[in-house]
Amino acid sequence: MHNALMQKLVQALIDGDQAMAVTQTHQLQAAGLARETIITDGIESAMTQLDARCTVEQFNLLEIMLAGRAVMSAMKVLYPGDAAMFPSQGTIILASLEGDVHDLGKNILKMVLTAKGYRVVDCGKDCPVDRLIATARQEAPLAVGISGLITTVIPQIRQVRTKMHALGLTQIKVMAGGAALKQATAASLQVDFIGETAFDCLHYVETLSGS
Amino acid sequence: MNSLKRIHAALHFQPHDRVPVIAQVFGHAAMLAGVDLKTYVQDGAVLAACQRDALAYYDYDAVFALMDTSVETEAVGSVLDYRTNAYPTVQAYVFAKHDDLAQLHLPDPQCDGRMPELLKAIRILRHAVGNEVLVVGCVLGPMTLVCQLMGLQEALYLAIDAPDQFIQLLDFATRVIIRFGVAQLEAGAHLPIIFDPASCPEVIPVAFFRELILPRLKTICSTFTQAGAICNWLHIAGRTTPILPFYPEAGVAIANFDFSVDPASAMQALPQTCLDGNLKPFAFVDASPAFIADEAQRLLQCFAQRGGFILSSGCEIPPEARPENITALVQAVRS
Ligand code: B12
Repeated sequence: MHNALMQKLVQALIDGDQAMAVTQTHQLQAAGLARETIITDGIESAMTQLDARCTVEQFNLLEIMLAGRAVMSAMKVLYPGDAAMFPSQGTIILASLEGDVHDLGKNILKMVLTAKGYRVVDCGKDCPVDRLIATARQEAPLAVGISGLITTVIPQIRQVRTKMHALGLTQIKVMAGGAALKQATAASLQVDFIGETAFDCLHYVETLSGS
Repeated sequence: MNSLKRIHAALHFQPHDRVPVIAQVFGHAAMLAGVDLKTYVQDGAVLAACQRDALAYYDYDAVFALMDTSVETEAVGSVLDYRTNAYPTVQAYVFAKHDDLAQLHLPDPQCDGRMPELLKAIRILRHAVGNEVLVVGCVLGPMTLVCQLMGLQEALYLAIDAPDQFIQLLDFATRVIIRFGVAQLEAGAHLPIIFDPASCPEVIPVAFFRELILPRLKTICSTFTQAGAICNWLHIAGRTTPILPFYPEAGVAIANFDFSVDPASAMQALPQTCLDGNLKPFAFVDASPAFIADEAQRLLQCFAQRGGFILSSGCEIPPEARPENITALVQAVRS
């Protein structure tokens, strides 16, 4: 019975059907399921299936966006108005840096990481490096992820690790991705990781959180 | 042979004295002249002067009256943020969530936003180079303009949630583009390049492009041709291989291909269309002139048999590019 309901939620999420996902989440709650169970067996299971389908060549952006939106709506049903209560495998900070207005990739990353149980602090687009680092200092994240689509942000990225290390924030990993940064190497950008897709980012974060 | 004749020959797969070379130098022209990018994108006379200086310095086959991707949306009513040495960004989209489409203002290129400055740049450039060098204006493509009117993510969700409204917005964008492009042709542009990065398959599915964007590109191209464009040039960056075969149907005669599309598949997809590309834009910043020269030679060899080729970068050469790398590109066709 629960299994069938859960399967419906998973399907609604994979289909990116926001309204159906919200209905199913309500029904699962009404049936007495704990929200942690709904997250692990419903939301995370849907994300795992999407992950398996998405390679660099076969990345259906709309599909992921719709699924991401459905996931976010389901999360809102589970934790109305209280994002701080999300169970978390760890915190990740995301940003597009100053002068870069591209944020679609970053937003997708946010949805994928959130759906897999990470708490995401989003510094938005056009974010100065210093604000990013101040946020890192406050939030003690596993990693900061920078989405960079224009090459002019590269000098800013090169400062991130050095500046964090100067503040003693040596544990925090720096991840980079997006069209401009994919063209470079991790060493030349002075970051710990460069990923092709949002799921590459997720896999790297999973190695950090040991899940 | 002058630049225009050379490009004409490449367009028709005819013999020429050398392969045409068009470096996609936009904001880089400001950097080269030591002018603030912010001034460059707001002042048509400055833009034209920088483009002329860059032409004199590099000696390639085209100049661009191209500011940035926010000219049209600003003229419709979006608010931009201008910063020193950066392209402007949209601070407030004109078409926010619950706006009424009927209220959207169809801009007049002679007086709205920076459109008149762009027309001024075109007039100056055309007057300066006549029919020696290609004068390229610029309009956004319909998908990118919709995205600039309301935000990309919102536009994509709108396409799914309220397709009728999305289509109306696409049609509005098409009207803006046609009006602006025709004004550019009247001001003396040989053609306006159609810049539609948001139509790339990395952003929208191929069927979305075929059903919604292609028909509007067709209308835009045929109107430009009637208004005197020497041909239509479509620029979509990214992995475009699956949509290239639709270009001829749209009326495209020059097809830009990015570094992520290999020349063989571009030729296969477009056997009778002139192609321009595809050096990696970032290589102009971080690689050496020798590297650029090698890559350019490799490309020239790929197209030696076939013709129908303009040597170029896959996308905009970043403003901060090293000038010696652009020189290496331009010299490649002469060695
Ligand atoms: C959409 C788009 C825009 C939209 C942006 C809307 C928005 N809110 O994001 C608009 C029209 C506003 C725009 C404007 C400009 N753009 Co633009 N744009 C694009 C385009 C077509 C798609 C980008 C995109 O969203 N892709 C889809 C997303 C989902 O992909 P993604 O971001 O790469 O993210 C994926 C992965 O990379 C990864 N990922 C992303 N971030 C991260 C981070 C980490 C840590 C990891 C591990 C992974 C990861 O996960 C995502 C999902 O898998 C690209 C071309 C292309 N085909 O890529 C150009 C492109 C990025 N733009 C470019 C340029 C130059 C500009 C402009 C400067 C143009 C101009 N001359 O005026 C302006 C101004 C930009 C500015 N100041 O920032 C160039 C950049 C090249 C360069 N020289 O640096 C590109 C490559 C091509 C081009 N010329 O149009 N653009």
